[in-house]
Amino acid sequence: MKPLSEQISDVIEREPVTVFMKGTPEMIMCGNSLRALQALHAAGAPITAVDVLPDPRIRQELSTISGWPTIPQVFVNGELVGGADITEELLESGALQQKLDEALGADRSPDVKTVALELH
Amino acid sequence: MKAEAIHELLEQAFPDATELGVEDRTGGGDHFQVTVASPAFDALPLLDQHRRVNDALAAHLADGSIHELRIKTKGSA
Repeated sequence: MKPLSEQISDVIEREPVTVFMKGTPEMIMCGNSLRALQALHAAGAPITAVDVLPDPRIRQELSTISGWPTIPQVFVNGELVGGADITEELLESGALQQKLDEALGADRSPDVKTVALELH
Repeated sequence: MKAEAIHELLEQAFPDATELGVEDRTGGGDHFQVTVASPAFDALPLLDQHRRVNDALAAHLADGSIHELRIKTKGSA
């Protein structure tokens, strides 16, 4: 099994849009995770969700990688976009859609999926 | 923690701030909305503006005394 930090980096690098959140899109456990998901959804983003709640080490390793202290955290093409406030602000200004268009093309399909990390 | 304590930390981090607000969103002393306007933000992308605010409050984010932090930043314009 790969170390947790490596698994986290792999998801960030591999998936077009990753959101690290509390809960899953089916069972959202935090208002700010909801806000980030809604903003991404409104921008027509494909979403890969990772729940940080199963193990506190997920959040620790993630914050070490990103230098960002809070959850949620949104990444597009491997790059940190920000938390819920930034994601919402970028949606309102149109910059989020523009960023997604540039990164993924305009005819992206807004699929939502969840990736579970392997814990031991 | 008290909103005043956060206000003080932000004042130290952003001595040039033209607007500085801290709201305890729930009254419970751990969910805060902060607003900072500073010329220090003028040349910075939004992500780095928020990083500066997070950095100013890093110790309290790390130890959980701030459970939720909502941030609004503005430049001097």
